[in-house]
Amino acid sequence: MTSVAAAEATAGTASGRWGRRLGHLPTHVVVILLMFLWLIPTIGLFINSFRPSQAVQSSGWWDIIFQPSQVTLQNYQYVLGQSGLWPGFINSLFITIPATIIPIFVAAFAAYAFAWMDFPGRNVLFVAIVGLLVVPLQTTFIPILQLYGSVHIDIGPIQINNLNGQFLALWLAHTGYGLPFAVYLLRNFMGGLPREVFESASIDGASPVTAFFQLALPMSVPAIAALAIFQFLFVWNDLLVALIYLGAANPQNDPLTIVVANLVNSLGSGWWYLAAAAFISMALPLAVFFTLQRYFVRGIVGGSVKG
Amino acid sequence: MIQGRPRGVRVLAVGAVMMLVAAACSSGATTAPTSAPASAAPAASAAPASAAPAASAAASAVPAPSYSATAISAAQQYASTLGKIGGSVSVLAVWGGSEQAQFLAMVKPFEDATGITVNYTGTRDEPAVLTAGIASGQLPDIAGLPGPAQMQQYAAAGKLQDLSTMLDMNAYTSQTPSSLVQLGTVSGKLVGIFLDVSAKGQIWYDPKVVGDLASNPPATWSDLQTLITQDKSKAQAPWCFSVESGAASGWPATDVLESFVLHTQGPTYYNNWWAGKVKWTDPGMKADWQQLGQMVAQSYGGANRVLTANFANAGDPLFTTPPGCLFLHQASFITGLGQFANEQKLTDYNFFPFPAITPQYANAVEGAGDLFGAFHNTPQAAALMKYLVSAQAQTLFVGGGEFLSANKGVANYPNAMNQRLGQILSGATSFVFDASDQMPTPMQTAFYKGLLQYIQYPSQLDSILQNLDSVQASSYTTH
Repeated sequence: MTSVAAAEATAGTASGRWGRRLGHLPTHVVVILLMFLWLIPTIGLFINSFRPSQAVQSSGWWDIIFQPSQVTLQNYQYVLGQSGLWPGFINSLFITIPATIIPIFVAAFAAYAFAWMDFPGRNVLFVAIVGLLVVPLQTTFIPILQLYGSVHIDIGPIQINNLNGQFLALWLAHTGYGLPFAVYLLRNFMGGLPREVFESASIDGASPVTAFFQLALPMSVPAIAALAIFQFLFVWNDLLVALIYLGAANPQNDPLTIVVANLVNSLGSGWWYLAAAAFISMALPLAVFFTLQRYFVRGIVGGSVKG
Repeated sequence: MIQGRPRGVRVLAVGAVMMLVAAACSSGATTAPTSAPASAAPAASAAPASAAPAASAAASAVPAPSYSATAISAAQQYASTLGKIGGSVSVLAVWGGSEQAQFLAMVKPFEDATGITVNYTGTRDEPAVLTAGIASGQLPDIAGLPGPAQMQQYAAAGKLQDLSTMLDMNAYTSQTPSSLVQLGTVSGKLVGIFLDVSAKGQIWYDPKVVGDLASNPPATWSDLQTLITQDKSKAQAPWCFSVESGAASGWPATDVLESFVLHTQGPTYYNNWWAGKVKWTDPGMKADWQQLGQMVAQSYGGANRVLTANFANAGDPLFTTPPGCLFLHQASFITGLGQFANEQKLTDYNFFPFPAITPQYANAVEGAGDLFGAFHNTPQAAALMKYLVSAQAQTLFVGGGEFLSANKGVANYPNAMNQRLGQILSGATSFVFDASDQMPTPMQTAFYKGLLQYIQYPSQLDSILQNLDSVQASSYTTH
């Protein structure tokens, strides 16, 4: 904003200013048009969430322009009235928050080590971890289900006979699934931090642990925030992983996605509630995104241009 | 600012750890709250049933199932004979939405009477969950099975429990049509039961357009053709038909073809057909495909709509003014789908059974249903299985208005239409199960695809049937 004003101030004559604005016009028109096109499905979904099921089934969302009187809250009423919805919302939080924090912490340690610590096999290990990005998580279901099933922990008050159905199962699974990308992103960002900072810290007697907590971590906040958004959205929107590790074993722990998917019955009727349900489940991720968005762009280009 | 940062991060870290601990504790504690509702339930048992209609009345689009107090108390009485066992049983099925609500309403008296918590998970991805479960050994106690073919497979792998050790077999066999008992039996062992059945091959119509055909239905296929010629001017086309259903597109057409095969060739031919003992190029089979082709040619919107409209909305043009079509061939569950769900039973729509083509097969009925099997033989699972197949529980189940029962002891349906459908199922001289559902998966997929191709290119019938023959030759070998 300020740079534009400065540019305009230096641009001088009024005709130059107008010419500049006109020059931007086609770009703006195209950008606005593209944004609108991009948003159309979401707008349609949003409008449909306020239309009665009969209308949704018989006409498109644009029908609201001709019949604005059809707006109703009954879909939201129905969805919010579902008994499993709030427990599902809470479960989603219980699943998502740890499943976001754990992989980020693990990845931050790993990224620091990969970026600034010298140890044999560093590059091979890093390539192996990044290579795991291409492994589809679906291939891991059966072995991990077996592994979880064979877990027997009996330490005083903590007794776990089968990890399937527990929140812990999902935290560990999402940590595993999220780590390759998290390590990759954070390593690139931390690798881009100025070497002098770490060298002078080391000369001043800082141990790697101090350097990590006092320097690397605080300087990587933008990348960590961006990563947090990715991981949070991935876990929040996840249906399949939750269904596999919780589904059959312990429906009390089912997250919102499973509850929402269950609004539809086996032959597909009830799908008209999904629009309203989608916006309810979207509310929290949107809030998270808007609070973290100023880090978002900074973080995503982080590591792409190394200084 | 710069000095403040590390401290902020440290605070964040501490907060994160605390949150982890809090979450871990609560996850460890989840087992405790789950058992609490069960013990608290008996006192509150009447509340949900009476509260439900009021809650759903608020959202007017939702039909409110009303369960009769006598049905609830009968079910509870039966459940109490199973003993106060406690504990829990897990159930996995495809039912969601209103179906899930009706299943939970059915097991509520059971939970109250036995103290067993029923942990129900409904998901339309059940086959995926079950496949992973079978491979890893992490299975629910009781699960809906995707179909007879999968049931055979699981039973052969030794995963399914022998239900004769869990059920009261005398009661079960006397209350269930023998064809259904047979369908659930693999090499002499009962491994599958039907918790609900649907009647397939009904012809649906709007009585305001074509008059009351329920009490005076066309007796034969040619009578129906006469009727179609007579009423030609009342709608744009004689038939409504559409087959889109996502990855399973084409199944509604298999149902139509199955009706023709059953009623022209009879149950023996039909059963040999899905078993792979009748060739697709058989002249009788080809004639039935051509019958289907004729129906497509007479369909509202032509082959284009048949292929692209969702099956749930196939019958919507029945109710437009002027009507788009006169008749729709579909199973009993259509009443909950598309425009049917918004119209009134009997006054806005009604049905008659598929008319006779070959007279001696007039009473043959095709059906389908949700098969259930048990993967663990726990006392809780056995008690639930006993309860689920009982006439008392089934009466409660059908009271929701969406399901039909396989149990002969179920006499009270919530409305006259379901009553008639129930009678058709229990009164059938021969009952056959959906053919495409019993075929091996590659055959079924090829069958769906073949029908879609035929609807689009009717002239390719011969090559389509030849191709199905070659799939048949390869896909039954493992069976």
